[in-house]
Amino acid sequence: MRPPRTAQRRGAEGLHRYRFILFRPLQFLPVLLGISVITFFLVRLIPGDPARILLGTRATPTAIANIRAQYGLDEPYLVQYFFFLKNLGAGEMGRSTLFKIDVLRLIATRIEPTLALVLAGVVLALLIAVPSAALSARRQGGAADHAVRVLSTAGLGFPSFWLGAMLILLFSVKLDWLPVSGYGTNLGDKLVHLVLPGLTIALSLSAVLTRSLRAGMIAGLGSDIATAARARGMPENVVFWRHVVPNALVPTVNLLAVNIGWLIGGTVVVESVFAVPGLGQLMVRGIFSRDYMVVQGVALTFACATVLINFIADIVTVALDPRVEL
Amino acid sequence: MTAPLAIAGLSVAFRHNGEERRLLDDVALTLNRGEILGLVGESGSGKSLLCRTVMGLLPSAKLQVTAGSIRLDGEDILAGDRFADIRGRRIGMIFQNPTSHLDPVMRIGQQISEGLMRHKGLGAQAARAEATDLLAQVGFADPPRAFESFAHQFSGGMRQRAMIAIALACDPEILIADEPTTALDVTIQAQILRLLMDLRIERGLSMILITHDLGVVAQTCDRIAVMQGGRIVETGEKRALLAAPQHGYTRQLIASHPSVGAAGAHVAVDREGAPLIRVENLEVRFPVGGGFLRKGQALRAVKDVSLSVWAGETVGIVGESGSGKSTLARTILGLTPATSGDVLFEGASLAKDRGATLRRLRSDAAMVFQDPFNSLNPRMTIGATLAEVLKTQGETPPDRIAARIGELLDMVGLERSFAGRKPRSLSGGQCQRAGIARALAVNPRVIIADECVAALDVTIQAQIIDLFRALTATGKLTLIFIAHDLAIVRNLCERVVVMHHGEIVEDGPSTRIFARPERPYTAALIAAIPDIDPDRPLNGGTPTHIQQELAP
Repeated sequence: MRPPRTAQRRGAEGLHRYRFILFRPLQFLPVLLGISVITFFLVRLIPGDPARILLGTRATPTAIANIRAQYGLDEPYLVQYFFFLKNLGAGEMGRSTLFKIDVLRLIATRIEPTLALVLAGVVLALLIAVPSAALSARRQGGAADHAVRVLSTAGLGFPSFWLGAMLILLFSVKLDWLPVSGYGTNLGDKLVHLVLPGLTIALSLSAVLTRSLRAGMIAGLGSDIATAARARGMPENVVFWRHVVPNALVPTVNLLAVNIGWLIGGTVVVESVFAVPGLGQLMVRGIFSRDYMVVQGVALTFACATVLINFIADIVTVALDPRVEL
Repeated sequence: MTAPLAIAGLSVAFRHNGEERRLLDDVALTLNRGEILGLVGESGSGKSLLCRTVMGLLPSAKLQVTAGSIRLDGEDILAGDRFADIRGRRIGMIFQNPTSHLDPVMRIGQQISEGLMRHKGLGAQAARAEATDLLAQVGFADPPRAFESFAHQFSGGMRQRAMIAIALACDPEILIADEPTTALDVTIQAQILRLLMDLRIERGLSMILITHDLGVVAQTCDRIAVMQGGRIVETGEKRALLAAPQHGYTRQLIASHPSVGAAGAHVAVDREGAPLIRVENLEVRFPVGGGFLRKGQALRAVKDVSLSVWAGETVGIVGESGSGKSTLARTILGLTPATSGDVLFEGASLAKDRGATLRRLRSDAAMVFQDPFNSLNPRMTIGATLAEVLKTQGETPPDRIAARIGELLDMVGLERSFAGRKPRSLSGGQCQRAGIARALAVNPRVIIADECVAALDVTIQAQIIDLFRALTATGKLTLIFIAHDLAIVRNLCERVVVMHHGEIVEDGPSTRIFARPERPYTAALIAAIPDIDPDRPLNGGTPTHIQQELAP
């Protein structure tokens, strides 16, 4: 038996499991560098010249050449990439050819609706998934279980542009409860505008989460952990919420993180359907006008967000499961 | 005075799609106040199911009580479905595998105090104080630290102690212990059994101890009930039952106990010539931990081990879990690479000429694994598994393969029709026989058996041991038999090698080592074997402090 230790030492022992927070970000650098290469060259593979699209079909060759020179588009790609990285190091992402302003500032003004949308989607998804998985797992084989399973399978199948359109049709057009599209100006207004797009995201996300949670909860209810808790006289509710759910949440957190990454890409569609002025919409406009700087900037922002979310998921996993050391 | 627990005419059946199968059949059992009742029987005999029924914890909705009563202090608990008041508060339960029964994401202390808060209505602070006190009672040196710990930070024995503390939290009158020491090493088993006996006296507990090991029963219990096929076939006072068993199955169980059989006659081995296998200064390290920017550490599983095995020997390698015995065996066969040192097989060096030596090892040595089910391909019939080995080896002509499979099955005592069956349809003992047949298929000169009887019931264990004894009796087969169970090794092996923390601490003839161990560690291991003779108590009979106090 080891010698006794003080309470202070115990706290330090708990904290050392979080050491990875210090060194893990170093691993992000090569990942982000790789992403910058991919986005930079992919954008330039799209046919079409940004200067020509900006100036229209009747632009003179001189005008086009001027624009190209102004934005550095006449340089070889490798040189352009070098300047892109150099600017990035200085905290700049270049100027948008379409909006004529700094890309970083452009992203800063558009990031809030996207963040709010993703957050609303995740919160709503959890509000749907946890109770329906619990209902389903605790009455396995019952009517509620079948309903949840059918709906979650359906939720996986419906594309979000269709689901969004149906929700608009029902809640905005027929019932006139919620606004059709757009994004409000004050907090209350913004929340009202977020309900339908948030729900669109939540419906497909909750389908994935429900299935994982349900499977984890069913396994948990039959596990030795639950048997032991019942054997010491814990009522079924306590067994479920205190022992089964925390154990079922651990794998779901990682699934959620993977899906949020996918979700960020999904906002491109949802923002277009609901005309939310966020990053997804900006990305679409950037692509159509060959606004290289904007597309690069937004893609890099999305990539950073995905990396960051997985990092947060790692922290949450360590917090939820004392066995995990990273 | 009524007995605290009286079971009468209890039947439990499995019902599914109109089909009904009786798993417990007219069981009658009484637990007297303050006694330890040993419930013995083999896997599938219904002993765990019986205790689950008493707790109202039937593992499936398809299982139903069809008849009988369970009376707790004269009150039928089945009639009123009063399990909610009984579990934890009046009957506590501990399980075979503390690792899977403790909640991994909840602190040990909280798992104890949740019962205290619920059943005794204590506040968080009071529950914490009492839980800490309980942890001290079950033998934790630093109870506040244990309170804050998680299950994975404990060793197996400490986890079982924590499990016991949880079960005792609300002062139950009855404790049901379902194979509480089966997953533990012998020395830890002795500690846990001692703890249970002490707690029985301190708290006046009545206890049902489920076990497959008659030695454990002989050492701890007052009375014994023997179960077979869902029925209680014999009940009686411990000494009377062990001395004069009435039922045939009880007699068979007693005869199968490894501490009963005398060491068999061994073949004379010529140790003058060169050894068959020579292990020289073997060192095996495994990297542990480490990451992207951190340097990992090395776990030294085998430390500078040297060992010679001569042809025809039966060598038992014993030690507790983590002692390096399996790693040593795997390294000898080239399944795990050595970090340094060498293994010589008939002079061929694994370190210098790995390819050629491995080829010789593959055709002259074979391994039998611990888990008979998982080491056989579930999709192949036993015949196909054996045919695959024979074809790969290439020494048996194709037209002889079928006949050879028949011979192999004869050798391990399986009917020839087993060639057409898949592992799923075999029992554990039959699977292990098939595994041995596969090892014999290459006509090996050496068999390394790694804990190959640990997962089997005692009567099956005895059969497999007899099989090995018959195979080695000819003197042509060399056997390296790895086990944590010293009684089996004493029974089978002529020579014993004791390993501890990756090192060989003792090596010699088993008769000498079991009679006069030279090292204290070996002596402690031997003393911890629960003997089937109740008058030869655990640990050479040193009484506990409580027994000393109670002595007249």
